[in-house]
Amino acid sequence: MKKKIGKEIISAENVVKKFGEFEALKGITAKIFEKEVVVVLGPSGSGKSTFIRTINRLEPHNSGKIVVDGVEINDDVKNLQKVRSNVGMVFQQFNLFPHLSVLRNITLAPQKVKGLSRVEANDVAMSLLERVGIPEQAEKFPSQLSGGQQQRVAIARALAMQPKIMLFDEPTSALDTEMIKEVLEVMTELAESGMTMICVTHEMGFARSVADRFLFFDEGLIVEEGTPEHFFKNPKEERTKLFLSQIL
Amino acid sequence: MMTMPKININEIKNWTINNFFGSKLNLLLTIFSTLFIVYIISSFISFLSSAEWEVVALNKRLLLLGRLPAEDTWRAWPILWLFSSILCSSIGAWGNPKKSELLFILLAFLMPAAIFFSMSYIVHISITIIIGVGSYFSSRIIKKISAIKVVMYLDTLKKILISLWILLIPLVFIVLLIGGGPKPNLWGGFLLNILLASVAVVAGFPLGILMAIGRSTKLPVIKTACTLYIETIRGAPLVAWLLLAWFVLPKFLPNFYGLSEISVVIRAMIVLSFFASAYIAEVIRGGLQSIPKGQLEAADALNLSYFNKMRIIILPQAIKVVIPAIVSTFIGIFKDTSLVFILALTDLLQVGRIIPEQDPKFFGKQIEALLVVASLFWIVSVALSNLSSKIEKNLGIGTR
Repeated sequence: MKKKIGKEIISAENVVKKFGEFEALKGITAKIFEKEVVVVLGPSGSGKSTFIRTINRLEPHNSGKIVVDGVEINDDVKNLQKVRSNVGMVFQQFNLFPHLSVLRNITLAPQKVKGLSRVEANDVAMSLLERVGIPEQAEKFPSQLSGGQQQRVAIARALAMQPKIMLFDEPTSALDTEMIKEVLEVMTELAESGMTMICVTHEMGFARSVADRFLFFDEGLIVEEGTPEHFFKNPKEERTKLFLSQIL
Repeated sequence: MMTMPKININEIKNWTINNFFGSKLNLLLTIFSTLFIVYIISSFISFLSSAEWEVVALNKRLLLLGRLPAEDTWRAWPILWLFSSILCSSIGAWGNPKKSELLFILLAFLMPAAIFFSMSYIVHISITIIIGVGSYFSSRIIKKISAIKVVMYLDTLKKILISLWILLIPLVFIVLLIGGGPKPNLWGGFLLNILLASVAVVAGFPLGILMAIGRSTKLPVIKTACTLYIETIRGAPLVAWLLLAWFVLPKFLPNFYGLSEISVVIRAMIVLSFFASAYIAEVIRGGLQSIPKGQLEAADALNLSYFNKMRIIILPQAIKVVIPAIVSTFIGIFKDTSLVFILALTDLLQVGRIIPEQDPKFFGKQIEALLVVASLFWIVSVALSNLSSKIEKNLGIGTR
């Protein structure tokens, strides 16, 4: 079953990001289309996390151009707010707010940013908790949940802002094996529902079944890109082959 | 089951022998520390047996109110009643004290009550106790009703109490000043210490939060200004700032509405507030640094405004981490209020110092006076540190 991929929603042109002297991104050019699921691969330190973090300006880029849904990311705060309201993010370390209940973690931004009433926000939150399969945990605090449950709450929290794009920064890397599955199930469901997703992940099974396209990063550059078929059957670049042989 | 105590006795015996008399060094330490403890206790007992408390008994009003004129003594009572009703309802509403803790709270109230007790005030003191006990139990009842039925009585009560705590200081000022009250310079005794410390804490805390945030920002102007403020104030002793407020402040303040002749008590309040804010700022900055970067990133990714990010995500977590340090700063400020004697104010410690000099028959009775003064400071400090550990426990839910 092939999804219909829509028009271009993210365009990055020659994006450079430096940390002091070190160039983490050395000129990334990429386009992401609506409803597309893109998996970003690469060895550690290749700049894949840095790249997706430039898309909602958690890392401001030094040069180049990033346009998200027609809005360029720059120093303009209004632009930034537009972009961030369209982009949800899920982190490796979940980053739930430990002093707030699960429900409050999810309702906070819809209430404070979108101006929803408490009742409306609670309805949204409860339906999202049902979607990720843990409505019974609403009143608990993050620390009372398992890692997998916490990450599912984090996904629900990002979805509550009704983003057009979801960024996943190694969402399963901090989880035990038995909990990875429950998070991947939620992500698969989300991909099937037509969400535009960019995932940094090492879960090759998931990547293979869900991704429309792969981007392979190495040393701050996109070395190779293509469909899963192309990628796993006949990768062109030596570095891609080496990487795949190490993780498969 | 029956053999248990036997084993215990043997264990205790062995433990005692091993730990107190096991080696030559242990034996020596045991002998010396026993002698030392016996010496301290026996000299304290001999002091208590020869102590004469008349110097305190005759000066209760001075210790409590300083030079506040006798015809204005009545003003102390509404303040005490207000305070005891808000405090006791708060204990009932927030706290869940065990029987032993209730006993401790009761003792903390009875000790100053016993010190200041006199037959002429028996009605007033009884009213205070009735109000305190009454408020405690009424807020307990409200709490129980709210727990059974799903009603918001408890939330409303807590909101009212929080606003009353905020209004408490202005209310105290009103009670002290209403209907041609005495000049603020005549406020004194324990009342003055508590008033100065309360103002310093209430004004210094929000200012300290602002300074901590300011010093943590990346904006260079604000960062430098806040750093300069904090380091300047912490860089000089409190006494120096108090003297500066006394001699220098009037020359700098513009002379309208009698601003340049502003009362010494008000000046002391301003200085103590600034002083408290600088220390609180550094404590809170430490808390801010302990918050993982991921929390900021998550808040940013959710598009929360800077104000909401700070107010809802960062500050509650940062302050929770440093509650013990904040409370110990408060305790320090409370004890530092005794330095206002250099502004010719008669706070509790100053009263304790001068009352033995009133009359030749009190000569040599300084210890009694100072002991009472110290125990009053002690009660408040211990109560504050207990409060802090209670708050820590209450906030323990949902910790990382």
